[in-house]
Amino acid sequence: MLLGGIYALISVGLTLIFGIMRVVNFAHGEFLMLGMYLAFWAFVVFTADPYFVVFVAIPLFFVVGLVVYGLVMRGVIHASHNVQIFTTVGLSTVLQNVALVAWSGDFRFVRPWHLSTVLRAGSTIFNLTQVVASLIAVTLTLALVAFMKWTHAGRVMRATAQDRDAATLMGIDTDRVYRLTFAIGIAAVGAAGVLVAPLYSVYPTAGLQFVLLSYVVVVLGGLGDMLGAMLGSLIVAAVEVAGSYLFGAAWKEIFYFILFILVLVFRPAGLFGQRGAETLGV
Amino acid sequence: MTALLRARRGAVVFFGLAALTPIVVRDAYFLDSLVLILLWGALSAAWNVAGGYAGQVSIGHASFFGIGAYSAALMVTRFGRGPWLGMLVGVVLSIGAGFIIGFLSNRLKGPYFALSTIAFSQVLLIGVSRWRGFTSGGEGIPVPFRPGFATLGLGHVGWVYMALAVALLCYAVEVYLERSRVGYQLAGVREDEDAAEALGIPTRRLKVGAVTLSAALTSVCGSLWAQYVGFVDPTYVFSVDLSVRFALNTIIGGMGTALGPFLGSLLITSLETYLRATFSGVKTGFAGIYLIIYGTALILVVRFVPEGLAGIAARLRLRRAHA
Repeated sequence: MLLGGIYALISVGLTLIFGIMRVVNFAHGEFLMLGMYLAFWAFVVFTADPYFVVFVAIPLFFVVGLVVYGLVMRGVIHASHNVQIFTTVGLSTVLQNVALVAWSGDFRFVRPWHLSTVLRAGSTIFNLTQVVASLIAVTLTLALVAFMKWTHAGRVMRATAQDRDAATLMGIDTDRVYRLTFAIGIAAVGAAGVLVAPLYSVYPTAGLQFVLLSYVVVVLGGLGDMLGAMLGSLIVAAVEVAGSYLFGAAWKEIFYFILFILVLVFRPAGLFGQRGAETLGV
Repeated sequence: MTALLRARRGAVVFFGLAALTPIVVRDAYFLDSLVLILLWGALSAAWNVAGGYAGQVSIGHASFFGIGAYSAALMVTRFGRGPWLGMLVGVVLSIGAGFIIGFLSNRLKGPYFALSTIAFSQVLLIGVSRWRGFTSGGEGIPVPFRPGFATLGLGHVGWVYMALAVALLCYAVEVYLERSRVGYQLAGVREDEDAAEALGIPTRRLKVGAVTLSAALTSVCGSLWAQYVGFVDPTYVFSVDLSVRFALNTIIGGMGTALGPFLGSLLITSLETYLRATFSGVKTGFAGIYLIIYGTALILVVRFVPEGLAGIAARLRLRRAHA
């Protein structure tokens, strides 16, 4: 259930990129994986704790986002869906295999001291890592939501999301908005990657399982809807707990993929979205 | 007929060379590459039926491939029957799965559809991995080799012709979609669904039909692949990478063109075989190098030459005709 916070951080980035750029980033999980490797190497080389690395990761992944936007995304932002889908799918293949070539396919582990510190709340047992990771994730997610809501840049981004052309007419440099959006989304998922690294094993395709989950979250919440994404991540985390209780841990994944397809079919605008919202610009 | 052959010179040369090669070349390694080029080409052509002609871009076609592969493998190992019967069962199951995906394509568009197909293949991946009692789970199933046509235990030359047969089957379906009434209607659905609907074209039925046909063809190739390679495991046959590969060959070759998927497969499969042979001894990590090249190629092709190799060829021909 604590993972809900981390799912939220992964998903707000995805939903932000979708909402504003109208691009489903199929490479989102790979940036998560890169975040996990960052945590791993920082831990091995500098024995740096993942919780300090997070604060390095945010600016670092922000820059990575800027670079990737300039090299890859910028040229396809006005292209057709198929072009966008395959561009990000291609990006995902490249990043996965760069990691494979550079760091091999071995499973790596980050084991900071707080992983073995146990906290008890009633009959449930947590370890300190989980608790702190989700606290940081929730804080970052809320900070991002606040940024979108109250800062000038956030307002400009939301305006672009609502109507690209009108935003351009109002003198908004949409290219800058997209660049900023992409960089923020990648910074969020990179930070999430650092946070989950101690909880899971690190390997080149580690991103896939999380990103599939965050698609579920984002679709549940309505693509492009940040608060929806936060609620969606709580639902997915709850379903995960309930599913593993009812069907056993092995089958719970099937459970939420089926939930995912059902939501796509019956409520494509998300559980709380308005009907028809999914076709907005799609 | 002669006009058709003349219009399709490229295909006649391509398939003709493939048919003649085993007579001249006996090198097992070379013939193996040829079988793979034809099989991947046929799979990409099958993907093209849904993705290129009907415009329903799926990233979950590995579902049908896996259904075909597992049906054939399980029919042989669990029921002691021939792989042909397994292939048939695979086709029936894939038609069922194709209906589901086709139904999704009526509700969902673009990235939503692509996401739902990924989720579908993941459901099958997890299901097959966890249902240990029947499918042997994540360890996979070795498919025994029994010589003979009925058991699909063929030599290299036999496999070349078998792969050529399915390749031609998929190619024929594509040509049909380019020349028939149904094909034109499908193109209408792809270019502008609302307009097609307004003209009285049964868009929903056509989309489901195209996806189902594509699923059945993919399943047949999956069954053959299982017998050829002799091993199936869920993480490979249901992987997203595999689905991307069908799409990649087609995009590089030219989406919505009949020969495109085969050209893409020729290029990508040869590249893979070459790089694998070159780097195999160096370091295991180098296995990823050709995938990096794939990914980069995919990004560059969709951006700069979205019409693919076949499109470039057509453009050159047009220029020559004008000159």
